[in-house]
Amino acid sequence: MARVLIADDDADIRDLVAFKLTQSGHEVIAVEDGMAALRAVREQPPDLALLDIRMPGMSGLDVCRELRAAAETANLPVIMITARSQEGDVEIGFEAGADDYIIKPFSPRELSSRVNAVLTRVER
Amino acid sequence: MISEGLVTLAVLSLLAVVIVLSTLIVLIRGVRSHEQRRRERTAEPVRGLLFELLCAEGDEQNRLLERLAAIDRRAWSALEPHVAELLEKVSGGARTALIRLYGLRGATAAAVTDLTRHSAVRRGRAAQVLGRLAHTPAVPTLCRLLDDRDPEVRRAAARALGRCRDPAAVPYLLACLTGPRTVPPGVVTHALSALGPEGMRSVAVGLDHPEHLARAVAVEVLGETGAVSRTAEVVHALRADTHAEVRIRAARALGRLGMPDGLEPLLAAVPPGRPVALRIVAVSALGSLGAVAATPRLAALLDDTDPHVAATAARALLRLGPQGEAALRSAADGSRPDGRAAAHARAALAEAAVGGTRLDVRAEVAL
Repeated sequence: MARVLIADDDADIRDLVAFKLTQSGHEVIAVEDGMAALRAVREQPPDLALLDIRMPGMSGLDVCRELRAAAETANLPVIMITARSQEGDVEIGFEAGADDYIIKPFSPRELSSRVNAVLTRVER
Repeated sequence: MISEGLVTLAVLSLLAVVIVLSTLIVLIRGVRSHEQRRRERTAEPVRGLLFELLCAEGDEQNRLLERLAAIDRRAWSALEPHVAELLEKVSGGARTALIRLYGLRGATAAAVTDLTRHSAVRRGRAAQVLGRLAHTPAVPTLCRLLDDRDPEVRRAAARALGRCRDPAAVPYLLACLTGPRTVPPGVVTHALSALGPEGMRSVAVGLDHPEHLARAVAVEVLGETGAVSRTAEVVHALRADTHAEVRIRAARALGRLGMPDGLEPLLAAVPPGRPVALRIVAVSALGSLGAVAATPRLAALLDDTDPHVAATAARALLRLGPQGEAALRSAADGSRPDGRAAAHARAALAEAAVGGTRLDVRAEVAL
């Protein structure tokens, strides 16, 4: 079981991801913006962060860059979530230090598999 | 002369109107916010069930579908906006489950009926829902709605047709670009692009459309979707179309398609004497194409009399890699007589040095 942070301003996506990952046995921290994500990382360090690229205020990319810049979170696995129409963001996401990405629309099963795959990769 | 009493009365009346309007705005916002919270409260208990459905499989999914299909009307009307939103955000079995839920609730059939209602809001909303469901049986009715008296309904129908991905809608989408009841080209372009590879044969047929706007949109879509198998038709549009806008978009499309067949017609579009907008886009497309064979022609354009063509040529050379960069360095040494080529070459090299080439903004703005 791992602690997963999900940051997305879309309540339906946030709650769906939280539901699926909880069902898969993970502990989930759900927040709705980038600032809250950084706060959550400090207060309850997660094993993995799922960040929506486009969030009002601080974007997922900015959060990822901040995480990579700090020594204690530099190695935190990050998966970016983006919409199909913004696939160009994927490249920028990798440049910002993301480990993987998920494109909306996605299947909850696929999301869970991706999270588990990244967690397994990190454990090795 | 206006009496003081009259002025006071006018000011007081104005103040009263402002107070009444402000109160009304606050009241309306309050009612809407209350209504929204009420809907959220109503939806909350069944939202969990919805997420369970999206994550379930097999018999478990069927059981949850039955439960959600049986919820009361009030709960469904509060939940339905969430279901509609999620239709575009989930895929695979989860999306199939949502489509089945719409069917079981009778919401799909209701939306089909709503397409012909008197209320424009209901027609537009129905088109939106059917598009999200990709409900292809509704395509003929949605095509008719492209001629609806309400412009928002026409837009909703165009977007829905794109989501339905039925190539049969292509002639209707191209036709609605002109006439008394039109749909904006951007909406039509987006809808046609959403059709996917299956729709591109029908879109290519649009290159023979009698209206130049339809031909321009068709060629734009072919480039945007990377329909490489349609390169020959796009080349023909660049060479032979009678309208400059179509030729300009064809040039841009050839750059996006990136096929070697695009090189010769693009080179033929850049000499002086052609429309400047076409030359700029064709020069930029040569850069996108990445064909080093275009290097001498682009290098020759560095001292073009039009500064935008020359600047675009410099940036295009950068995109050709080492060979283009060598041509720029050679031009930058100032050996040419009037110095314009050297200035453009130095500017492009400096731009590259501080962070890569810019997109050719001038060329995009020209259209």
